Amino acid sequence: MSFNDLLLRDQTRRHFFENCGVGAGAIGLAALMQSEKLAQAGTSALGKTHHRPKAKNVIYLFMAGGPSQLEMFDFKPKLQELEGNVIPESYVEGKQFAFLKKDAKLLGTRRKFKKQGESGAMVSDVIPHLATVVDDITILKSMKTDVFNHGPAKLFMNTGTQQFGRPSMGAWVTYGIGSESQNLPGFVVLQSGPRGPRGGTPLWGSGFLPTTYQGVPFLNGADPILNLSNPAGIDAKRQSDFINTVNQLNGRRLEKTRDPEISTRISAYEMAYRMQSSAPELMDLTGETKQTLDLYGVDPATPSFARNCLLARRLVEKGSRFVQLYHTDWDHHGNKGTDLGESLDARCLETDQACAALVKDLKQRGLLEDTLVIWGGEFGRTPQGEPRDLIGRDHHIDAFSMWVAGGGSKAGITIGETDELGYYTVEDTIHVRDFHATVLHLLGIDHNDLSYFYQGLDFRLTGVEEAHVVQKMLA
Amino acid sequence: MWISLRRLTTAAFTILVMVQAGVVAEDDVAKKSEIDFEKQIRPVLKQYCYDCHSQAGEESGLRLDHGANILKGGDRGPAVIPGKSAESPLFLSLSGQGKIPRMPHDLPPLKPAEISLIQQWIDQGGKIPDAEQTLRTTQAKSDHWAFQPIRRPEQPTVQQRAWIRNPIDTFILSRLEQNKLKPAVEADRSTLIRRLSLDLTGLTPSVEEVQQFQADTRPDAYERLVDRLLASPHYGERWGRHWLDVARYADSNGFTIDGPRSIWKYRDWVINAINENMPFDQFVKEQLAGDLLPEPTTDQLIATGFHRNTLINQEGGTNPEQFRVEAVVDRVNTTGAAFLGLTVGCAQCHKHKYDPITQRDFYQLYAIFNSTADINSEPPTLSLPTVEQKTQQAELKKEIAEFEKQRTERKKLLEPEFESWKKTLQQSLKNSEEQWTILASETAKSTNGATITVLEDQSLLVGGTIPNNDTYLVETANIPSGTTGLRLEVLTHESLPKMGPGWAGNGNFVLDEVGVEVSRQTKAGWSKFEPVSLSLATADHSQEQFPASYLVDGDLKTGWAINVKQGSMNVNRRAIIKLKAPLESPEPMKLRVTLTQTRDSKYNVGRFRLSTTTVNPSMLNLDPAIIAILKQPEEKWDAKQKTNLEQVYYQSDVQWSDLEQQLAKHKTEQTKLNKDIVTTMVMRELPKPRESFILLRGNFLAPGAPVSPGVPDVLPPMPDAVKSPTRLDFANWLTSPEQPLTARVTVNRYWQRFFGKGLVETENDFGTQGTEPTNPELLDWLAAEFMHLNWDMKQLHRLIVISAAYRQASDFDPANQEQDPRNLLLSRQNRFRMEAESIRDIFLASSGLLTRKIGGPSVYPPQPEGIYVLTQNKKAWPEETGENRYRRGMYTYFWRSSPYPMLPTFDAPNSNTTCTRRVRSNTPLQALTLANDHSLFELIQGFAVRILEEGPDYDEGRLRHAFQICLSRTPDDQELDVLTRYLAEQRAHFKKSPQAAAQVAAKKLPEKIEVVEAASWTAVARVLMNLDEFITRE
Repeated sequence: MSFNDLLLRDQTRRHFFENCGVGAGAIGLAALMQSEKLAQAGTSALGKTHHRPKAKNVIYLFMAGGPSQLEMFDFKPKLQELEGNVIPESYVEGKQFAFLKKDAKLLGTRRKFKKQGESGAMVSDVIPHLATVVDDITILKSMKTDVFNHGPAKLFMNTGTQQFGRPSMGAWVTYGIGSESQNLPGFVVLQSGPRGPRGGTPLWGSGFLPTTYQGVPFLNGADPILNLSNPAGIDAKRQSDFINTVNQLNGRRLEKTRDPEISTRISAYEMAYRMQSSAPELMDLTGETKQTLDLYGVDPATPSFARNCLLARRLVEKGSRFVQLYHTDWDHHGNKGTDLGESLDARCLETDQACAALVKDLKQRGLLEDTLVIWGGEFGRTPQGEPRDLIGRDHHIDAFSMWVAGGGSKAGITIGETDELGYYTVEDTIHVRDFHATVLHLLGIDHNDLSYFYQGLDFRLTGVEEAHVVQKMLA
Repeated sequence: MWISLRRLTTAAFTILVMVQAGVVAEDDVAKKSEIDFEKQIRPVLKQYCYDCHSQAGEESGLRLDHGANILKGGDRGPAVIPGKSAESPLFLSLSGQGKIPRMPHDLPPLKPAEISLIQQWIDQGGKIPDAEQTLRTTQAKSDHWAFQPIRRPEQPTVQQRAWIRNPIDTFILSRLEQNKLKPAVEADRSTLIRRLSLDLTGLTPSVEEVQQFQADTRPDAYERLVDRLLASPHYGERWGRHWLDVARYADSNGFTIDGPRSIWKYRDWVINAINENMPFDQFVKEQLAGDLLPEPTTDQLIATGFHRNTLINQEGGTNPEQFRVEAVVDRVNTTGAAFLGLTVGCAQCHKHKYDPITQRDFYQLYAIFNSTADINSEPPTLSLPTVEQKTQQAELKKEIAEFEKQRTERKKLLEPEFESWKKTLQQSLKNSEEQWTILASETAKSTNGATITVLEDQSLLVGGTIPNNDTYLVETANIPSGTTGLRLEVLTHESLPKMGPGWAGNGNFVLDEVGVEVSRQTKAGWSKFEPVSLSLATADHSQEQFPASYLVDGDLKTGWAINVKQGSMNVNRRAIIKLKAPLESPEPMKLRVTLTQTRDSKYNVGRFRLSTTTVNPSMLNLDPAIIAILKQPEEKWDAKQKTNLEQVYYQSDVQWSDLEQQLAKHKTEQTKLNKDIVTTMVMRELPKPRESFILLRGNFLAPGAPVSPGVPDVLPPMPDAVKSPTRLDFANWLTSPEQPLTARVTVNRYWQRFFGKGLVETENDFGTQGTEPTNPELLDWLAAEFMHLNWDMKQLHRLIVISAAYRQASDFDPANQEQDPRNLLLSRQNRFRMEAESIRDIFLASSGLLTRKIGGPSVYPPQPEGIYVLTQNKKAWPEETGENRYRRGMYTYFWRSSPYPMLPTFDAPNSNTTCTRRVRSNTPLQALTLANDHSLFELIQGFAVRILEEGPDYDEGRLRHAFQICLSRTPDDQELDVLTRYLAEQRAHFKKSPQAAAQVAAKKLPEKIEVVEAASWTAVARVLMNLDEFITRE
């Protein structure tokens, strides 16, 4: 590449990083170049993916703490029947739990399950709104993970490993296929619930990938993005003068040094300026109809999971690639405030309507086709109850449920089955790695070929062990 | 049960095999025929196993091509237990049983007859050939460049001799000339001083320093500048920060809870060691094994904090052993990356795919680090009192000892009394219940109109209209002489809310005061009631903050209540009130008892009963627990019960309780003092080393074969004298002249800091997957020179920055760009953005606000609000107001789960794992931070004030001065022109908008500075501080 080409590339490129010479994975780099050209041409089609993508965007509703599949999706009459019995030892031989003892007793659910929709999916009465869209979603009852403490398990679900320093799924995706938004970050994180998710920033970090790809947390305060507002007393005109002056002088330095990094910095200031208006526009819900607001159950003035769902739709409309929502406090061990009674009711009240609304809204706008919606936590909960004040369950990694919708996933089916106690998966086990492979597949990416060479190894989201695309999930 | 079942399966399997294979079915025939290893076993192993398990492969550390090795087995332990096929992993895995997956991996299984042969061979004793009785070890060999010894290369001959300043340049120039490239011109002096200052101290030079250097005509002006900067205390900060990346230093424990930790003394140790130019080999030794040095100094112990910078998981329900193992694994990985430049981490779970590092190698290193005392815990820590604190500690200790001595003496003196007291108590305890005499009441009145009814059991039930507050007056029947105490029972009743015993909605009450008066029968009739002094009240239960003692404290606003945290409060309770002196009288006496309730909310007692007693007053008010002790026979008391009893008695002795109080006070002081003393986390070796095992697939619950401490086979061995290497032996080995990696890796990392890229670009991977050195001779020359200089870091840095190569201009040259687009051959210097902390430092230095203090506890500069929305726990952030508001970025308190936001925005590492090179991204969020962050904006405002205060009094002069401060150079005409126009526009605007001007200008302005001027210059300062050049080292 000649110097002039290099300059040209850097003036137009949308990826603001020095490529460190560590070597981007083949597709990553190819996609970069491709999307640059496309961006220049003003189109919004994807860059070169491995195969035809079904999904363009992802909205990942992360239910932090580990929602109980046994109260929501996985109905086990046998568990009801055996309630109060000590779990047979064959189940727990060699197992580790966070809190449970070996002799914990089985706990049946207090929730009523019913077949819903044409597909007849069994869901419980704690999520009545979701019950109305079961024909548009795919319920995965046979999820399996490796890790049973919250922090490491969340890291595992997001980065494919419990080790720190690896890129999150959103970072991998935006690295692989870029973003279509010139004015908003490609990977956005929205948060609701009483506190932040355990694990913090590494959950949406870029690991060894350039920080450009890390998730940008939107805040619920006046500034949705840190430092988005001008300092007090500086109006839009002054800010525009400021950016122009900085870039004029930077341009002058570019002439002298010919360092393409300066042209990247010039672009970065331009995009920052655009973000200053586009991000508040995104947050401004006055353009939404009352009907839409009611569908989600949104009070525009109050931060909530529902508002975040609506914002997620607006973000993918504007071209953000990966939007991740965290809603916390699903860790229902069975004390006051963490039980499977009132506390679970409260979490569902906060989320159920909006989850269903998101699916409906995306569908009626024709966005569901290429937006993959994912719902799930870092693990599930045990068939055994915990001996605490109220009813609750411990962390469970051998079987839990998630659901997905849209983006080329097969609607209206339930995949996987667990044994009669709901302890182990017995059919169509989907390991976290398989799930990651499938999400990438829907986005047009072969998980084996989206890699980054670092410290002498090709790193992948799915790691070194085998991962399989779940064919049954594909439409 | 499980084992026998497995045996059964094995037996069944054998029979099946024999039938299928048509082997002679007669048992005794089979037994008699001895299996021949060479003829029958080796061919099978060779056909199926050698591919992965022989000298060439050695997967899982297992070799099946040599007799002794078969028996010894591999990473999982022995492969064959002679005579016991059912316990031999070789047979189990071939037949698809046991824990190891069926072998051969991913291939069809062996024929049943073949498996049967192996089984018989094992059951017959697993005989191996005589010639193969000793283990065969493969000395891993590699011809990979990085593992070869360092030989000091000859300097190449070059054409352009005049360019050469030191040997480094010959190596650089030689490569350039081979590629027909010319070195760039030397950078101008303003660039050089800015570059040197940033590289060596991380701060921009002052205007005066630039002027002096530019005016210095001495031939060694440059060298003098270098020496001055190397001697600056900021050099230690700058290079200390680089090392802290490697050390993954932070101020919190990481993971989800991420509590605070105290280890900043280690950070200061690093700064000091570098400022004192501690030789690098010593630097390594003290950090890895300072505690194992003979009679280690405090500093050497602090240094071991290096490997205490691992995470601690404080989440509930975690297994501490799991995270201890993770910490040890991290120590091995960090050691690998930091000193060996090897990604040993892959070998945690499997043989390194590319490098000759086996799983055994990894766990041998692991074993070296596996015997420290920390278990996912902050301890062991080292307490570091100041001289003053030490004195205080000693004084307190002495005083406490003195009081304790006095107390012991006093105790001795009181012992006989205690004995008799005890006896009396035991005596009077018998039938204690009966010693209470229930008092009949003569009259009982409610002052506020409730009714009081006497029930059969002499208890009094309050009813009728219950007033908001009330006082009950009860006159009793005669009481005996010698009365020592009064008992008040509060009792439940079905007429009361929730059964009472009080009239509050929940059955509670608050009884604020009890008064007792006595009247004596005289010849003239009953005397006037006179108050009786009460000394103490206790109860069998009191609500928190409503103790029974409030009944007799004379305060009508404090009282006794009985709510409970768990269970029901609606039960009978009793309070016992001790009279100050027994009521003695030859004549009959009666009492008037007053119960006062003042809560204005019907918190009145509903049913109660009074009794009196004449028991020994010391018996009254005894804690039920004490009574329980006393009721037991004395020989059954344990030490604690005995002490409790003693305490009760001695408390009544004035002298004793004085001593007790003094002791308590001093001990509180001692606790507070100890809490104020700074601690730091350190390494401590266990007296007896832990056993180490190969952890299969890295799982701490799946230990395989045992391993002893050792270094990777492919590298030079430990000295023969070292049998089981300790951390200290290991540190010595790391920096021994034979071990080629530490020196190569270290000089390469230095080079990377001075040129933006290492000679080996993959600075943490010198393995076969890393990049080749761009100039191998130079790398080895530097490594050899470093050791030759006795690991003198400052000398090596001096050598590098003195070179002509370093002094080149960094401007891109289109002519060279074509041939060497990534400037790997260094035909110019590189231009790169400063690190996150340095960006803050440059802002501080230019604004004139920088606090130049070195070291100390981490600080809390202002940060945007809402940072902790995304963390599990809110973190403490007491924003600094004094000089600590303007400390260098490296002193900012670092919470691992939620770092100070500008740091990660500019690619500061997260400190969860070691970082040997930072990514340098260039993003819109960085632009937003520099332009809008309010902490930086405060520095921009400060800079504006500085320009107005120190600059000349005309615009151009001020612009030049400001430019000079930020960029160490004068602006060209065009730049000046842009800035002049911008200033004019801003000034015009702020004149029209004084309100905006007031917001933009610094809050506290010196008197002579006008707000509009301050605002206009703040705008200019903001532009200068947002320039690419400002945050770039050119």
